[in-house]
Amino acid sequence: MSNEGNKTTSEAPQVVEEEGKAKLRKWLNMKFRIEMTDGRVLIGVFLCTDRDANVILGACSEYLKNNEGETEEPRVLGLVMVPGRHIVSIQIDDTTPSQTYYYDEYLIK
Amino acid sequence: MSDNNDEYYGDGAMEPLAAAPEVTYNWVDVTSDFFKYIKDLQLGELLHDGLLFGLFEAMSAIEMMDPKMDAGMMCNRGTPKPLNFHQAVAADKLKIDNIEPNELIGIIDATMACIVSWLEGHSLAQTVFTNLYLHQPHSINNKILKAFCIAVYKLLDCIRDCINQAQVFEEEDFQPMGYGYYLGSNPQSGHTYDASLEVTESKCISLLREQEEELNKKTKNTEAEANILWTALAARIRFTRMFYQALLLITKRDSKSGADCVALLNGCSEMMKVIIKTSGKGTQPVENSDSPNPMGFEPMINQRLLPPTFPRYTRIKPRIEALQYFDELVSRLRHAWKITSCTNFHTAVDFFMEFSRQRACILSRSALQLLYLSPSPATTAATAQTVPSGVPRPHHIFIEILRDSIKNFVNPPVLINKPMMPGTPQAREVVETFLTRCVRPFAVLLQVCGHNRARQRDKLVLLLDEFATLQEEAESVDAITSGSMGTGDCPCFSTWVLYHVLRVMIAYLLSGLELELYSVHEYHYIFWYLYEFLYGWLVSALGRAEGLANETTKRIEGKRAGVRKQKKRTRPYAREGLMCQVMQNMCGGYYKALVAFKLQGKIRQPQSEFDNEAVRYKHRFAPLSGLSPPQVHYHEFCEMTQPLQYENPVILYLGGYKHFQQARSLLETITVPDQEVQDLLKVAKTNFVVLKLLAGGHKADTTTSPEFDFSVHRHFPIIKLV
Repeated sequence: MSNEGNKTTSEAPQVVEEEGKAKLRKWLNMKFRIEMTDGRVLIGVFLCTDRDANVILGACSEYLKNNEGETEEPRVLGLVMVPGRHIVSIQIDDTTPSQTYYYDEYLIK
Repeated sequence: MSDNNDEYYGDGAMEPLAAAPEVTYNWVDVTSDFFKYIKDLQLGELLHDGLLFGLFEAMSAIEMMDPKMDAGMMCNRGTPKPLNFHQAVAADKLKIDNIEPNELIGIIDATMACIVSWLEGHSLAQTVFTNLYLHQPHSINNKILKAFCIAVYKLLDCIRDCINQAQVFEEEDFQPMGYGYYLGSNPQSGHTYDASLEVTESKCISLLREQEEELNKKTKNTEAEANILWTALAARIRFTRMFYQALLLITKRDSKSGADCVALLNGCSEMMKVIIKTSGKGTQPVENSDSPNPMGFEPMINQRLLPPTFPRYTRIKPRIEALQYFDELVSRLRHAWKITSCTNFHTAVDFFMEFSRQRACILSRSALQLLYLSPSPATTAATAQTVPSGVPRPHHIFIEILRDSIKNFVNPPVLINKPMMPGTPQAREVVETFLTRCVRPFAVLLQVCGHNRARQRDKLVLLLDEFATLQEEAESVDAITSGSMGTGDCPCFSTWVLYHVLRVMIAYLLSGLELELYSVHEYHYIFWYLYEFLYGWLVSALGRAEGLANETTKRIEGKRAGVRKQKKRTRPYAREGLMCQVMQNMCGGYYKALVAFKLQGKIRQPQSEFDNEAVRYKHRFAPLSGLSPPQVHYHEFCEMTQPLQYENPVILYLGGYKHFQQARSLLETITVPDQEVQDLLKVAKTNFVVLKLLAGGHKADTTTSPEFDFSVHRHFPIIKLV
């Protein structure tokens, strides 16, 4: 999964480093949907990450994946840390306006 | 203490919660991008919004997929989703009719194992309520099981009520949470309260009685093999009923119920013998299965009701151990019942301490509290306040208990209700106020004795603070009453308080030994303090109390022309005084041995740069400051123990062994030795021999540290040379 990333880093480390971090930073405080290796799905606010893709989600809820999709009621977990090695996929909700957008708007006003 | 106040986590049937406001998401997959971008972070670097989120927050997150933190993990262990009651019935996995007697025995025994697991501190949701039958007791067609399940509901409620009233539990002892199961009145879980399903106590008992009679009939009409099963089942139903009734009597204690309760508990013990003997007759749990019985239990059914960080996963106590636990529980309750015959407060306190020493379970500890005082000591303490003058004082039974205690102990003239005794109404008023003030600390003392051993220590510190103010008040009461009675200096009340304060101080220091809080290099000043001061003070307090009591008696009798001069002076505290001297000698023996060990370099001392004995000393005895007699300070300790530093170790060993010898011969004068005395005797004898050897120069050259073995007595170790 990360092979591609490695290659890019080794080719042009300086440029990508800035870019990658900045992209991640933009995602902070946005809603993440993480699927874990055991099939559970976590939805929460992306708060923090590190090089090993350990992700911290705030106000997180756990959904059990069943056959009919996500119809079941969530279990509220609060603040959770998902170890990178247990992450299967990450999705981001592009309907939530990012924090920076709010800041910009605030500044303009 | 209704369960309805608890936060509602949903019910056992896992029906969807009220629909949350509709949120729509537009999910975009960023997996590969994300994994690419994170490569730009340095090792150990955290990318986060520094304003709102920092390392501290990061540390408090629950780690997913860690079995210790992630309760939800267990739901997905490849096992199919647990079925709820109705689903299980529909799938023919749960019989509600035509249940074989051996299956009933299995279900009942497993439920009892769950109750025991709950009483050992696990949550209801993970223990008793893994039993699906308890989710819908009214839907069970089998009458025996239905009656049993309803009774379990009532029993749980009664147990919880008892424990809640006594307030002697901590989170490690007991989980009072109900997780949305309505205990007690309405044994049917769910959101809706249905009054028609309400079962009263008497209804519940009569339901059980009916089944008992039915079962007894069945035993008469069947052949031997089936007979055993029906008898076994009857014993279980009978036990449930009697246990429930006994507990009801304890919780709602009234004085008339005494004989009944004893009879019920004796009956419980009888039944338990049958139950344990027939425990093999029921269906047994499948090997390597987490379910306590093949049918009716779903260990995972409530997993999603648990808070996110909830402990994980509960192993239900093995059946035979659980039944044993019930058997012992009943004996403990029978023993606790004996408190009702303790008329004297001092004997009652001794009983409480003795009971606590046996490390009884939470239910029997709670029952003891309620049996002694109703409302419980906790409630008594919470409601006791100083009443502003002018308002009539609330009459409290505990005040009378304390008044009797003072009368018996020091017999102050002011408490004698004789018209010929002098004394002003003002003095009596002062005494009454003082008694009211005593209610709280002394009720708390009883409550503390009910807590588990590890928690008692901290609570004793708080108690000492309260006693400090009480001591001051006792002194002023003594001054006022002595003045008004014209009896001269007569420190009755302060002696009585002092006696209790000293006992609490000793209990506090000793608890550190029991909980293994002290290092070996600290032992010497702990034992020194006990030996030089506390036990000595206690002996003199007892002596003074005796003197005061006799003085008053003499004064009264003197007025009656000394008719009963020949009456033999009884010494009510002879035994207690003797025990104090034993303890004092034991402590003295340890102290001298420890100093000698230190002089011979046998005890590892902390590295000097990390060591400050003055600080440690101050810390160890800090709770004893503020009381009278005042705390002995470190510099005093140094001054007093200085000469010993130049002593020959052999002389010290000799001194120590004389102490143990003295303790031993004192103990041997006790004609009916109890377990405590026997244990102390064993320790004293062994240490006597060991110190004698040491005095003779045995192992004088080695610097190996001796071992202190607390296995015989929790406070007084056997010294072992290795």
